[in-house]
Amino acid sequence: MLSEERIILMTRMASYEQGEGRENVKIGNYFRSDYIALHVLKAIVCSIISFGILFGLYMLCNFEDFLENLYKMDLLAFAKDVLTYLVAMVGGYTVLIYIVSTWRYAMAKKSLKCYYHNLKKLNSFYHDGQ
Amino acid sequence: MTVLLEMKERIKLIYSKYEAFIVPVFKFLLAFITFSTLNSRMGYMTRIDDMRIMLIAALTCSFLPVGLMVLMAAVFSLMHMYALSMEVALVGLCMYLIMYLLFFRFSPKDSLVVVLTPLLFSMKIPYVVPIAVGLLCGPASIVSVGCGIAVFYLLRMVIDSAPNIRTMEESEILEKVRFMVEGILGNKAMLVMIAAFVVTVLVVYLIRRMSVDYSWTIAMVTGAMINVVLLLIGDLMYDVNLSMGSVLLGSLLALVVAKVIEFFRFCVDYSRTEKVQFEDDEYYYYVKAVPKMTVSVPTKTVKRINSQRDRMAESEPRSRNPRQPKRDVERVGSRRGNARTGAQYRNGGARSGRVAVGNVESQEEPDIDVEDYEEWP
Repeated sequence: MLSEERIILMTRMASYEQGEGRENVKIGNYFRSDYIALHVLKAIVCSIISFGILFGLYMLCNFEDFLENLYKMDLLAFAKDVLTYLVAMVGGYTVLIYIVSTWRYAMAKKSLKCYYHNLKKLNSFYHDGQ
Repeated sequence: MTVLLEMKERIKLIYSKYEAFIVPVFKFLLAFITFSTLNSRMGYMTRIDDMRIMLIAALTCSFLPVGLMVLMAAVFSLMHMYALSMEVALVGLCMYLIMYLLFFRFSPKDSLVVVLTPLLFSMKIPYVVPIAVGLLCGPASIVSVGCGIAVFYLLRMVIDSAPNIRTMEESEILEKVRFMVEGILGNKAMLVMIAAFVVTVLVVYLIRRMSVDYSWTIAMVTGAMINVVLLLIGDLMYDVNLSMGSVLLGSLLALVVAKVIEFFRFCVDYSRTEKVQFEDDEYYYYVKAVPKMTVSVPTKTVKRINSQRDRMAESEPRSRNPRQPKRDVERVGSRRGNARTGAQYRNGGARSGRVAVGNVESQEEPDIDVEDYEEWP
């Protein structure tokens, strides 16, 4: 006997699994700390590479000035400034990614909770049917 | 309104039926328009400014995710930049890499926004973007909108400064890089546009999520007004030479597009809003339920009534009740067709091929003439 409610539930769940659910299931496979740590690590690597690109462009733009003042300038102070900028950029970006990934994990878990609840409901439909 | 709703349902039905074909066709068209716009505007590398290459690339994009369309468009633009000057391509590559590494991770699914934003800018209708994104996407999409605007202004700067770059000597590598970087960083129009669009997206998103009647309409009108005001302020402060006529006309067009989006995405009937309140062990619930405006799609059912002799010839081998009338009905979509046909005969329906369209039934020319009908037992 066809159960309309069961079919509607199954359709919704299938749609979820093929849409946003796919991403959420992937996130749900991680522990919270693992998921956040992975994203923070990626963010650190990406921000360091981006800083390298930006610094390279800056150096290309100011290469002549840099060479002219190479013997006059305090190289240690320059390196300290560069490191400060690097730490500020990497730190700021990492904090941002930490907040975003924490929020995403919480949202995915909330969504998956609803999905698993529906799964249980579907299971109970089958048991009731037998 | 009913006609429009019926049309919407029909479009939805057609889309769900032919989705497998419609989506690749749209992707193909979008990719083809993007590549042809790039080639027509830039066109420095004549090798890729070829219809066959564009068609192949667009066809490839039609079966791949939209993210790869972004990648392919970036490759196209970089190749044109490289043909103009290697230094320009280097700066362009750096900008794309920074955008990919830092920003795309916030909204990786908004690749379509990144493609559409520069495209709509080049078509002089960019004001649709913040309102449509605010209505359809989340707040994270501001990153994609910002990236799209940055890409458009980068390409425009390359196009505008191409004559200057060509006049520079080959050895002036650093000059070219500096020229490009300063051009990008000092582009006030880009910064004003990014700021205005980001604020508009956020305002539209926040208002359309509010639990007030006509929130979508309020959101789109407010968004359009805020966008115009912010662009005016930006123009006054930084003298970015925006054409106010085009801003106003573009905003009006954006409102029209937003209304169409609302019709397809959020068509509700506020006059039938219901507010209910109930409680369980843990919570009180204050629920506001706004019904969607829907109409059932008219279905067309054609019942063919064959002539008696044809059917008799077919059913001759079968044993028949001699009292049964010597005719039969070929039925479509009815398991109890015989019983119904009897009623139809009584109503005179047997004398005509009946075409039922929704609630309205129209009579067509009769297929047969039934002279010897008898009441069914």
